[in-house]
Amino acid sequence: MRRALGLYAAGALLLLGAAFPFLWMLSTALKPSGEIFATPRFVPLHPTLENFSRLFADTSFLVFFRNSAAVAGATVLLTLTVSALGAYGLTRYRFRGRDSVAGLILLTYMFAPIMIIIPFYILVRQLGIVNTRLALVLSYTTFCLPFCLWVLRAFFQSIPLELEEAALVDGAGRGRTVWYVVLPLALPGLIAAAIFTFILAWNDFLFALVLITSDELKTLPVGVNDLFNATIVDWGMIMAAGVMITVPTVGFFVAVQRYLVQGWGAGGVKG
Amino acid sequence: MRKSALVGWLLLAPSLLLLGGLVVFPVLYNVWLSLFDKHAFMPVQAFVGLKHYRYFASDPEFWASFYYGCVYAGVTMVLQLGVGVPAALLLNEGFRGRNLLRGVVLFPYMIPTIVAVILWKWLLNDSYGLVNHMLMSAGLVRAPVAWLGPDYIMGSLIVTSVWQFFPFVVVTYLARLQTIPPELYEAATVDGASAWRRFVHVTLPQTASVLFVIVLLRSIWMFTKFDTVWLMAGDGGVSRYIRTLPVYAYARSFTYLQAGMGAALAVIMFAMLLAATAVYFRLFRSEEVFS
Repeated sequence: MRRALGLYAAGALLLLGAAFPFLWMLSTALKPSGEIFATPRFVPLHPTLENFSRLFADTSFLVFFRNSAAVAGATVLLTLTVSALGAYGLTRYRFRGRDSVAGLILLTYMFAPIMIIIPFYILVRQLGIVNTRLALVLSYTTFCLPFCLWVLRAFFQSIPLELEEAALVDGAGRGRTVWYVVLPLALPGLIAAAIFTFILAWNDFLFALVLITSDELKTLPVGVNDLFNATIVDWGMIMAAGVMITVPTVGFFVAVQRYLVQGWGAGGVKG
Repeated sequence: MRKSALVGWLLLAPSLLLLGGLVVFPVLYNVWLSLFDKHAFMPVQAFVGLKHYRYFASDPEFWASFYYGCVYAGVTMVLQLGVGVPAALLLNEGFRGRNLLRGVVLFPYMIPTIVAVILWKWLLNDSYGLVNHMLMSAGLVRAPVAWLGPDYIMGSLIVTSVWQFFPFVVVTYLARLQTIPPELYEAATVDGASAWRRFVHVTLPQTASVLFVIVLLRSIWMFTKFDTVWLMAGDGGVSRYIRTLPVYAYARSFTYLQAGMGAALAVIMFAMLLAATAVYFRLFRSEEVFS
């Protein structure tokens, strides 16, 4: 009995520590400005959406949101395509140096973005794609690739070759075999890789800060930081922005949480 | 070349092209760049050899950044373990709501850094923040504390970072805890071992190698952390009390536009991490707990 009480007390403490800051953000976002600067209370007396409407009407928030969604979406598509092709090549074809290539790919995972951002910036300038969404999509794809390749490689390895051979014998071509047999079986791996990629692209600050200069191309983290740094901080509006950025991540995450746990097991997440 | 080998390489080609062009080439280019005086975007450059490295050897700003970087990485790593390991042990026990809690605990790690930082800046706000309000209501302090002022900015940065990153420790440690055979605990319980002794004699030896990896990865990632530190104070005002090497490298490259110096700082950081990792492996890897 005392043990159960202790467990629940510790659990409550952990829940409070992890979740309370989010709830406080939501509470602040729903308060009229008079309440935000009055004695703090948890449940707003007069809940209002005015912080959100001010955020949408008076700032470029929706532009940032659209940019982030476009960049993160394109990154997920590109990363999954490139890494699925690569992982299939690594598991289904024999060639010399195959395992050393796989090892080298993992090694590139060890370089923190801050350690290559300078040559990266110069390179992107010389390619003439500085200040484009393409530059962001390419950088995020590159940084997600090692992880996604390794997760998908592990999943492809676990799919019995006999299943593929059976489909090939039945006359399905290689492409249809992969599409209808291999990819569905690797779905948990694809989902884990997609979430990892989406979160990295959605959350990134450094590349967006360095590679994007014009306001209409900025993504959420940099855009919201600009809002925060402009003149006097409008806390209600900033908290509303925080809520809006958090919702897609949390929603995405809750929807597919059970797949994610397998992905974490398969390789861990960087950051 | 056999046809299947060719197809294999072709399938890998897009990945290799991206990684080669956008990671491997920049890393090598970075080393070369560190030997030049180069403007960040004008086509001006001159070979200067090891000048930048010699400069940093006696640059007080560099050593201050190194010091703050070590404090930041060291303290946040220890605190992440201090919070994350007990949390993982708790989430490995059976109780109602455990799966929900396992999900919720991950949230701080999933959200963008900008959200974590504005959240904590609001909680720690000197005039209207909840933390000061609660401390004053409880009579613990008489006047509001300037948590984001020079005296406490490092502490505030550490709290924010530990909150944001401890879930990584929870998830990684929990994954290993779940694979410990229950028989080991049963045997220890039969022998009359207390919960503490079971932890010390069963759990710790079983999880030593995952702790080894967690400490290594978290130290490296905290030492190279840019966004949390940068967003906490930017590049002016109190930022000099938390300026770590990544922020210093960024400032050199993109504020002063001295790309060569920034590149040299990146090389120095890399060399430091490599040396620290080698020492770490030598110190701990050979011990029998890991065999």
